[in-house]
Amino acid sequence: MIVCVAVVGHQNNPLYIQSFTEADDALKLHHIVHCSLDVVDERVNNPKKSGPMLNETFLGLLYPIENYKVYGYLTNTKVKFILVTTDLDVKDADVRNFFRRFHSAYVDAVSNPFHVPGKKITSRTFAERVSTIVKSFGFSSVA
Amino acid sequence: MEEYPEELRTPPITLTSLVGYPELHPLISTYLLSQQPPINTLALPDLSKINLFNKKKSDPDSTTATSSPPFIVNGILKRDWLLNHRTKIPSVVASIFPSNHVFGDPAQWLQVCSDLDSIKSVIRGRNIKLVVVLVHTNANDEVSEDRMIALRKRAELEAKYIVILNPNDDSEFQLSLNRLANTFSELSTAYYREEGRRVKQRIEKKNVSSVELIVRYCFKVAVYAEFRSDWTEALKFYEEAYHTLREIVGVTTRLPAVQRLVEIKSVSEQLHFKISTLLLHSGKVSEAVTWFRQHKNTYKRLVGAPEAIFVHWEWLSRQYLVFGELLETSSKITQSFPPVSLGSSSKPLSEWESYPAYYYQLAAHYLSEKRSALELTISMSETPSEVDNGADSVVPSAYVGQFARLLEEGENVDMLPLTDEEYTHYAVSEGKRFRDSLEIIALLKKAYESYSGMKIQRMSSFCGFQMAKEYFTEGDIGNAKQIFDNIASLYRKEGWVTLLWEVLGYLRECSRKNGTIKDFVEYSLEMAALPISSDTGVQRDTGPAGPANPMQREIVHKEVFELVCEASELTKSEDSSNLKITADESVQLEVDLVSPLRLVMLASVAFHEQTIKPGASTLITVSLLSHLPLTVEIDQLEIQFNQSSCNFFIANAQKPQSVEGSDPQQQRTETAPSLSLVSNKWLRLTYNIQSDQSGKLECLSVIAKIGSHFTICCRAESPASLDSLPLWTLEDCIQTVPIKDPVLVFSGQKSTQVEEPDPQVDLCLGASGPALVGEVFLVPVTLVSKGHDVYSGELKINLVDVKGGGLFSPRDSEPYSTENHHVQLLGISGPEKEDDSQLDSDKIKKIQQSFGLISVPFIKNGDSWSCKLEIKWHRPKPIMLYVSLGYTPNSGESNAPMVHVHKNLQIEGTTGIVINHHYLMPFRRDPLLLTKNKQASESDQPESLPSNQTMVLIVSAKNCTEVPLRLKSISVEEEAGVERTCSVQHGNEELSNPALLVPGEEFKKVFSVSSNMNISKLRFGTACLRWRRDLGVEEKSASTTTLSSWVETKQKLPDMNVELPPLIASLECPPYAILGDPFTYNIRILNQTHLLQEIKYSLADAQSFVLCGYHNDTVYVLPKSEHVVSYKLVPLASGVQQLPRFSMTSVRYSAGYQPSNSSNSVFVFPSKPHFKTAASTNFRVESVVNE
Repeated sequence: MIVCVAVVGHQNNPLYIQSFTEADDALKLHHIVHCSLDVVDERVNNPKKSGPMLNETFLGLLYPIENYKVYGYLTNTKVKFILVTTDLDVKDADVRNFFRRFHSAYVDAVSNPFHVPGKKITSRTFAERVSTIVKSFGFSSVA
Repeated sequence: MEEYPEELRTPPITLTSLVGYPELHPLISTYLLSQQPPINTLALPDLSKINLFNKKKSDPDSTTATSSPPFIVNGILKRDWLLNHRTKIPSVVASIFPSNHVFGDPAQWLQVCSDLDSIKSVIRGRNIKLVVVLVHTNANDEVSEDRMIALRKRAELEAKYIVILNPNDDSEFQLSLNRLANTFSELSTAYYREEGRRVKQRIEKKNVSSVELIVRYCFKVAVYAEFRSDWTEALKFYEEAYHTLREIVGVTTRLPAVQRLVEIKSVSEQLHFKISTLLLHSGKVSEAVTWFRQHKNTYKRLVGAPEAIFVHWEWLSRQYLVFGELLETSSKITQSFPPVSLGSSSKPLSEWESYPAYYYQLAAHYLSEKRSALELTISMSETPSEVDNGADSVVPSAYVGQFARLLEEGENVDMLPLTDEEYTHYAVSEGKRFRDSLEIIALLKKAYESYSGMKIQRMSSFCGFQMAKEYFTEGDIGNAKQIFDNIASLYRKEGWVTLLWEVLGYLRECSRKNGTIKDFVEYSLEMAALPISSDTGVQRDTGPAGPANPMQREIVHKEVFELVCEASELTKSEDSSNLKITADESVQLEVDLVSPLRLVMLASVAFHEQTIKPGASTLITVSLLSHLPLTVEIDQLEIQFNQSSCNFFIANAQKPQSVEGSDPQQQRTETAPSLSLVSNKWLRLTYNIQSDQSGKLECLSVIAKIGSHFTICCRAESPASLDSLPLWTLEDCIQTVPIKDPVLVFSGQKSTQVEEPDPQVDLCLGASGPALVGEVFLVPVTLVSKGHDVYSGELKINLVDVKGGGLFSPRDSEPYSTENHHVQLLGISGPEKEDDSQLDSDKIKKIQQSFGLISVPFIKNGDSWSCKLEIKWHRPKPIMLYVSLGYTPNSGESNAPMVHVHKNLQIEGTTGIVINHHYLMPFRRDPLLLTKNKQASESDQPESLPSNQTMVLIVSAKNCTEVPLRLKSISVEEEAGVERTCSVQHGNEELSNPALLVPGEEFKKVFSVSSNMNISKLRFGTACLRWRRDLGVEEKSASTTTLSSWVETKQKLPDMNVELPPLIASLECPPYAILGDPFTYNIRILNQTHLLQEIKYSLADAQSFVLCGYHNDTVYVLPKSEHVVSYKLVPLASGVQQLPRFSMTSVRYSAGYQPSNSSNSVFVFPSKPHFKTAASTNFRVESVVNE
């Protein structure tokens, strides 16, 4: 189950962060998302280590922590998407698929002429779409 | 890792034993220990101790396990088995005998035999190997072969296992020690191999009664393998044991559930530790990490009974910690290895899993889980002091991971098994003894430092956050605050508002506990101003700040303002006594450009004009912005400038002014109808401002006073360079501007330039007309004060080339570059009618080529002062003269503003006099110059002059200016250092009266030049002219002035070639003729050569004359002689008449001659004239108007 998704801007500032958990550990998820930026930075700055992942937007599993797994995605405009999930067995393909859909939702949201680039995403439509994607992620992994 | 027993942590070392002859023991054991691999020795001084090895005779599993299957297995691993093998059970026993006991007295020999027998009987049961060492006591001991064989038989040993030591011979002793060591290692390896094989057989037979035993056997095999450094086999069997153990989990029912799990976990922990150590030591980091992950995943879910769940967390935490420590030590050893060579296909490892810090962090996490679980357990089963005494007697039992109750009944000590309940009580009481938070802090600190060292700042911040939280709950406020402060800066920078809110909440509480009111106010205000617009979803498990939402912001806001305004005390919280503002102290917050409190209050100040006149007023707009959630009422604003006289106050009309009276100086106070600062809205206030002081007027700060004890001092910022607020810029809200005027938004500055007062002094530059090259040109400068006194005045003079540049850098190619400057400022003469000494010597006077600085004495209002600039032109060139006066209108003030007056004037520099010259031959006498004829077409060739002739040099000076000039003298002077090769007459005389030269007029002077030297080149010297401007009416008086006012202009006369003319023709004719009166006209032809010259000549008829003589003829002129052609002429007409034209041709030189018109004419008087005799002068002056 996806517990948290986030969009992080150029200065590593959160543009959108939403947790989908009943357990009410949102603060902890914020911390996890924030910490995962270190991994993204390292991946981006040392592309050698991640060798074949060069030039790929999907960064894969960033790091495992406690009961969570954190996945990352880096758009061409250097906006980062972070996904935190509690599933222990996640197929990479599922995550990729999720990020692809999430990316298109994000592109639609920032294409709004009233959206100022670099500011937080407050669009309600975006939030709804994201929650749909998150829900369907659960389904597809079950199926 | 430290809590593991020593024997587990270190690799096993072979143990051997020495029996008898204790004198040699230290020597041998030291030597063995220094071997590679080292060998430990157990030294027994005599045989009586040999029975130590014997007591396990009754050990069931060593002897009876194979034979009698039905026996109860009480545990998996014996706690002290490994220790015994490390320290008590040797692999080899070396029995040492002195050689004389063996080879000497038969009684001693018998003793040796019986000793050997007893040793053998002891070690046989354990298969311990035997070595016999013979020590040479005396050099003359005889070695008897028989005894040796007997000894060997008795000991049942091969010959090589009997080692002879000779301590008396050093080199041989070393050799034999070496042999002994080799024997030991060989035998011990054999021992361990045999033991291992023996145990392995039991596993392979598959008839082992219980799985526990398989685990135990595997463990033993692995340890034996380790003893002989067979790491691969060790690893294999440790893994085997580990996997077998995993199978037990659901199967065994030997112990109560909780303890069963504890035992299995303990054993697996040991096995895992061994495996990880082996893997890491062989450099297989990624395999070790994978192994750990597997281990963790396997046991993570074996939580166990809920009441003992904390035991599980503690165990898990220890797994992380130990593995982290192992990683750290191994990465220290194998630093050269890249720790990350990951990528096992199915589940790739992230590089994070090879950082020790990652494990420390998780260890801390699980330890805190343990703590909370323990607390829960304690609170659930809180029946204090009930079982506490029972827990005292619980001790670890003989098996790893098992505990038992120690029952002492007199001498008898008995171990009773525990029930799960008892065990839980024991574990709880054990758990209470530890202060987990200290452990957690230590773990987090390790992780924090490790991450920080690797510049992984967000992870380290997270660890720091957890650590600081622990400090906070522990009550260590100082440490907590320091760490929180560090973290807060990162969150501020990256705009993680919820995290920042959390941290600030803790910081706020820290300062509340410390009683530092300023910090408390700062943190509270920052929190209140954070851009938290909607609920972030963080509800539960929040820090002391409460959930981050707009309502909480308002609560914080209210709380802090109540505190500072003393509307009420902080009665809600129990420690409110800490925070109180007493009457005599006040809280002042400084908000600068980088302060996080810019969110709280931001002051933007703009002058409406960029420059203002002193005394004139302009507008200033002060704009304040606050992001606090509620409206703030400001009592008073103070605007501070760098010129403190401009400071002013803005008072709130709605508040009673109590502070006004306290103002010592009567400073300006404005009143604003309202000073309420609405959230996210600019408060704009515009006022007049004026300054009398010139210079920069800058607004420094805006101080807002709220309540009687609280002030916020904001550094003023310019709207033009207003940095966007951190955090809020990311919010999706409308950007507002501090000033409505759209121009000022982009150009408004917090400072303005106050101009200097208008000068009230006239500066006149009175130069008239162009300057002449060479003369000292005077530019009168006059200062007339019209309203200002002039104090410490300073006159700056600058000469600048109009075309730019050329004034200062003459081109090197120019021949007379000795004068560096084409135009030069020579000096400044003081005011007229005043002595130069009046320019005080202490005042500045600095003159350079093109720059001058002169101090001006005090000039009273209405007075004037003047001086003259002396400028000399060396080259005709227009220049720009800049003169600027700086002065202060008031005396006494050293830093009084200067007033400046600037003037400039363009001055042309022109050439005053042009000198020309030319040469003339004597009248009616013409030499034949061959070069002249030859090169008539090539005009650029220098003209030649005849030698040995007297010639006339005419120097003319032409006035090229617009003004009349006076000419004092024209002379031809010798050049310094160059000998003149001709004599010039009339060279140096001055004119008795300076001649007036009107514009355009030319003055000529005639010199006669003669040269008798036989040379080819004539140097004439320099034409030198002295002149000055005509002073008009003052000329009379000025004629007596010093010579220095005369300008000297020099021009070098070019050198001339001379040559000897072969022929000279001269016409002889009287100066005038009288009508009808005949006269003789002679033509002399002088041949100066050594050759005969053939001359053809002719004379044309002329209208005005009647002549007699040859018209045409050819004559031969002899060498060095003269031929005269003579005619008689009678004039027929009066006036200027042309003589009959004579022409001749030299055949030898093909050169023709015709006299010029002027030399060929004569004036004919109608009748004989009468001349008065004029006074003869020494020289002749001809002033001829140039036609």
